[in-house]
Amino acid sequence: MPREIITLQLGQCGNQIGMEFWKQLCSEHGISPDGILEEYATEGTDRKDVFFYQADDEHYIPRAVLLDLEPRVINTIMNSPYANLYNPENVYLSKNGGGAGNNWASGYAQAEKLYEEIFDIIDREADGSDSLEGFVVCHSIAGGTGSGMGSYLLEKLNDRFPKKLIQTYSVFPNMDEISDVVVQPYNSILTLKRLTQNADCVVVLDNTALHRIAADRLHIDTPSFAQINQLVSTVMSTSTTTLRYPGYMNNDLIGLIASLIPTPRLHYLMTGYTPLTTNSQVASVRKTTVLDVMRRLLQPKNMMVSTHANRQANHCYISILNIIQGEVDPTQVHKSLQRIRERKLAQFIPWGPASIQVALSRKSPYTQTAHRVSGLMLANHTSISSLFERTLRQYDKLKKREAFMDQFKKESIFKDNLDEFDNSREVIQQLVDEYQAATKPDYLSWGTQQAPAAERI
Amino acid sequence: MSEFKVHHHVSELLNLLGMRSADPVGAEVYTEMLLNNMKPYITTQVSAHQSKRKIAGSTQTPIEFLAKYDDLKAKNVRDLDPLVFLLSKLTEEEQTKEFIEKHAKDKAEVAGMTLVPHDRVTSQLPAPGTKLSVQELSEIRDKLLKEAKSAPATTSSEILTKALREKQLKRNVNIPHQPDWLFQRPSLTLDFIVGVDEPTDQNIVPLGSLPLALQEHSIIEDILCCMQGIEGKYILARALTERYAPKEFMIDQSLDPSLQELVRRQLPLCSNYSTVVRFIEEKSAFEYGLVNQALSAAMRTLIKDYMILVAQLEHQNRLGNLTLQKVWFYIQPTMRTLEILAAVANSVNRGECIGGVVLSLLHEKTSGLIGDSKGQELCLYLTQSACVPYFEILEKWIYKGIISDPYSEFLVEENETIQKEKLQEDYNDAYWEQHYTICRERIPVFLEQVADKILNTGKYLNVIRLCGRDIKCPIAEEIVYTLKDRRYTEQIEGAYNYASKVLLELLMEEKQLMARIRSMKHYFLLDKGDFIVQFMDMTEDEMKQDIDKIMPTRLETLLELALRTSTANVDPFKDDLRVELLPFDLITQLFKILTIDTKLEKDYRVDPTDLHLSGLESFSFDYVVKWPVSLVVNRKALTRYQMLFRHLFYCKHVERQLCSVWIGNKAAKMYSLHSARWYSAAFALRQRMLNFVQNFEYYMMFEVVEHNWHIFQTNMESVSNVDDVLNYHTDFLNNCLKDCMLTNPDLLKIVHKLMMVCVTFSNFIQRLSQSATIEMEEAPSRESSLQGLQARSRKDTSKQKASSKVVSEHVDLMGASENFERTIKNFDSNFSRLLLELLEKIMDFSCISGEFKLFNILYRLDFNGFYTEKLEAMSAEKAMLESSTHSSESSSGSWPTSFTSQRPDSARYVPGMHRPNVVNGSS
Repeated sequence: MPREIITLQLGQCGNQIGMEFWKQLCSEHGISPDGILEEYATEGTDRKDVFFYQADDEHYIPRAVLLDLEPRVINTIMNSPYANLYNPENVYLSKNGGGAGNNWASGYAQAEKLYEEIFDIIDREADGSDSLEGFVVCHSIAGGTGSGMGSYLLEKLNDRFPKKLIQTYSVFPNMDEISDVVVQPYNSILTLKRLTQNADCVVVLDNTALHRIAADRLHIDTPSFAQINQLVSTVMSTSTTTLRYPGYMNNDLIGLIASLIPTPRLHYLMTGYTPLTTNSQVASVRKTTVLDVMRRLLQPKNMMVSTHANRQANHCYISILNIIQGEVDPTQVHKSLQRIRERKLAQFIPWGPASIQVALSRKSPYTQTAHRVSGLMLANHTSISSLFERTLRQYDKLKKREAFMDQFKKESIFKDNLDEFDNSREVIQQLVDEYQAATKPDYLSWGTQQAPAAERI
Repeated sequence: MSEFKVHHHVSELLNLLGMRSADPVGAEVYTEMLLNNMKPYITTQVSAHQSKRKIAGSTQTPIEFLAKYDDLKAKNVRDLDPLVFLLSKLTEEEQTKEFIEKHAKDKAEVAGMTLVPHDRVTSQLPAPGTKLSVQELSEIRDKLLKEAKSAPATTSSEILTKALREKQLKRNVNIPHQPDWLFQRPSLTLDFIVGVDEPTDQNIVPLGSLPLALQEHSIIEDILCCMQGIEGKYILARALTERYAPKEFMIDQSLDPSLQELVRRQLPLCSNYSTVVRFIEEKSAFEYGLVNQALSAAMRTLIKDYMILVAQLEHQNRLGNLTLQKVWFYIQPTMRTLEILAAVANSVNRGECIGGVVLSLLHEKTSGLIGDSKGQELCLYLTQSACVPYFEILEKWIYKGIISDPYSEFLVEENETIQKEKLQEDYNDAYWEQHYTICRERIPVFLEQVADKILNTGKYLNVIRLCGRDIKCPIAEEIVYTLKDRRYTEQIEGAYNYASKVLLELLMEEKQLMARIRSMKHYFLLDKGDFIVQFMDMTEDEMKQDIDKIMPTRLETLLELALRTSTANVDPFKDDLRVELLPFDLITQLFKILTIDTKLEKDYRVDPTDLHLSGLESFSFDYVVKWPVSLVVNRKALTRYQMLFRHLFYCKHVERQLCSVWIGNKAAKMYSLHSARWYSAAFALRQRMLNFVQNFEYYMMFEVVEHNWHIFQTNMESVSNVDDVLNYHTDFLNNCLKDCMLTNPDLLKIVHKLMMVCVTFSNFIQRLSQSATIEMEEAPSRESSLQGLQARSRKDTSKQKASSKVVSEHVDLMGASENFERTIKNFDSNFSRLLLELLEKIMDFSCISGEFKLFNILYRLDFNGFYTEKLEAMSAEKAMLESSTHSSESSSGSWPTSFTSQRPDSARYVPGMHRPNVVNGSS
């Protein structure tokens, strides 16, 4: 009866990163692609049942629900060696198979129609777990299915399971190159509203930064989806190690995220991972100290979110959680923290106590890594607001021209008016404002000053 | 000497000197001083001699003092020289002397007695070698008290003697009965028979009247008689003045002076013979012990040789070719022998030596005779023979772990009242520490250095034996006393190494001690977090109840379930875990322990029936430990584990509560912004609490427990004997307790209060959101009845909107009411005040004690310098308060300053509080 977590994979992107995630988990727990526990892994002291359930003695099945409106990605999964891993009942493909056409409104509307069928699956999965802790949603915010269907599901999940946590791994679109999805800003802004209001914790995976990291850190000029997704799956699996390899602390999801998110709206987390390697690089096992890892994690170039740091804005950390894996002496951690504090390597909020929390975790004994110590940082940093600002700017540009609105007006939610757009924009603007306010010492009284203004609107 | 022992002695001494009530400083200070200044006392002849002279110089009765000193010295009293040294130091300090004198008089007056000269009391103290057990001592004390009440007139020394005598009767219980005739028949001796009126031979003529040749002849006859312990005609034995006095003789004065002179020179032989024979006869009795018996047996063989000599002399005499000069010539070597024997006998007699003391004496004699090789050989023979029974006991002990010591001579003593079954019940180390003890007075000098090893060897073997194992020491050879090359110490060390190795292997490998301790760490130190989370999830309802409503069996079942379904399942020792509901909470327990022996002790004697403990407060794990692991994990260690567990467990509970507040609050992100007014304050407070609790937990788990565990593990890798294992384990637990602040009442109190504030706060918020959800559920039901049946999805959206509206209205309502804001503010100021107090205390404490471990908490809690400012503000405020008492009034106002402002009188609205007095009780 562990605190189970159900993973929902939505759309093309969501299913792709989801698949990588399960691949990673299987290799870490010694589970074969067919879901059979490997011979060498039967004596393990890890917790497989947070993410898997046991069909019989050594057959493990992921607590995953795969949803898509078009068959391409799911078919790829079903033709891969991992086809037999999933419970076939949990793989849901829309019958018309047309997809959402990169249209948020279409995805939202289709999800609304498929509500009963989808929630039959989710309910069954939830009933199958004794003390469900929450859901993990993998999706992208730019496309149609992940964003539209995701938005709808977030709303409904919150409604149906008000006491369960909802964590999302949301892929943000690449801003550096021109996307083939022209309505991307519309999709993003509509999804962001739901992420702000209905998710408890959003781990931001910024495609811009992921590409930059692949190019700069791993020296891959044109990174493939697989390589990017591998980075993502590393982040996802590492951020759940303390749940899967229990130690003294942070053994449930709530314990991990509660301290990271002081006020409910500011729940967008950045990630950083070091040292980064891909499978293609065969590196010898290098020595790395805890201090090295912790210092590198604080460097912006290792962040998987690209924020064009605005120096004037005085952005700062609201909270940091470092998950350190490997052979670590606890005293080293203390020394590193001391060093970071002395050198003021991290700027913290002025309105409350904040520190670098460190969770020490074991590594999987079944996978070989090139480094003795590796670390993942989950940080709540106010500069994430620049990402939203950027989205807002793009949205405004598009909205001014009322471009591509026809597709949206087709769907029921925008039939009468476009209020939903304005409403979403307002929510995001408020979010940006709140992030800005959080950099100031009087953040806690900020709401009071804003109140009259908000009422006027 | 351990700290506790020193402390105990100091407080005893203070008690004796009547300082208890008057002295505000307390024993702790002295203890610390003593511990810091402790130096080994190095015996040098000079210092002892000098101090002796110093005392002699200052006292009024120097001769008596010196006589007493010599007497004690002769009795081989241990630690005599250090005592003399101490006394000589005391004579120098006038102040101390005066004080002691005054105190003694006071005490005597109070008791209504006159001062008894000191030596009268001391002389009646038990002889060294008897050992008072604690039980016996308390008996004596009771007796003394009783006597003192009933008859105040009798002096204390009399009572003491009486009590001691009674006790001494008890000691030699197992002495076999000897027949009466052994003592009634006077002729059963080789010694001179005294008191029997000999039919005086009337024919004896004065020797002087005889010719010289005849004189010589008869005197030779007499000498030969005397040599066998029979009175002669002209040489008469005097009756003994004392039991152990040398025999004296009277010679017919009319004997020719030159002969008389020769005879006089030969008489000491007879006198020595008498002494030795008396010694042999006396010490062969059961009650003098095996060593004395062996010694007398050895002497008896020598006496046999001596008898042969006498017989030969007599033969020569019969043949008529023996002259007095010849006798003198023949007995020369024998005289020396008997002299040594007599000297040994005298020393043993004087010191009333038994067992080990005899051996020490013999050892010293032997080494003292260096240069006199024949004498030394003789002494060596005596020592070796006397050692045989003692070494037999020793062999049995160090090769088998068994004591067979019928006359309590051996240096190790067994206390049979302490049984190993009590290891799981008693809160002390009694079994290991006191079941077998060294009796200092019984150690032969030459075994002094290895005494501890001897004790431990047997102790270890005994443990192995009690595990039902056969012990076959591979190096079990006979131990023989030797003067120089000390082979026996090598043998003892070999046995010791073997025993410790075997026991260590038994514990570590067969009984898997480390795996066991590791398993205990999983449960008691929350190493297996998932198990704890699961267990807490499952027992949530149970834990909330009152202790008397909880069914332990249900808890057991849940525990079982949690064990099976978590990663703890792979632990082979999981079945030994039990639940226990203690009738007191951790704080009470700790304060009870911490205040033992201080003035506050009575404050914490709470009647257990008064308290209404919840399951959470009284809950603890227990662990079934079997022999011989219970040696290491005894009740005392288990209690320490339990205390740590309860502390950590409670922190975990608080963290959970705060997390559930977080979950309850997550709906807030949908509210309109203007309700942020109240919730941001509440959220910030929750965040601060969570930050505190998590960092505190982290500190305790990773920096204290894990760090100490690491040290413990490294130590255990190189451990060589079980005593070290015990020490390391105790050190591990003690350090954990200390660094988790469980040994510091001040800090602990604040931490506990902080936790209470957190719990009360989360109860308050949870209750609030509960009432909010109830209203929320009511709202849609109204709505749906109006609208009737509609499409489900449609209804859901409307319901959601409606409910969120209701909640925000409700929240606004709460926010609008002054009550809520004030309550949050109260919580806030309470929490901030306590936390700052804690931080300040930690700083002070670390500065004073030089204990920097606690500093780590400061680093963690104050990582971004958030509290530093507050602390500075507080100290500034303090300074301001001191300068002007008015200024603080004005500063109390809006939120940021409420940090430093005075705490409002009392929290007016604090629901769900367990014990209001804890939270509100101001320091």
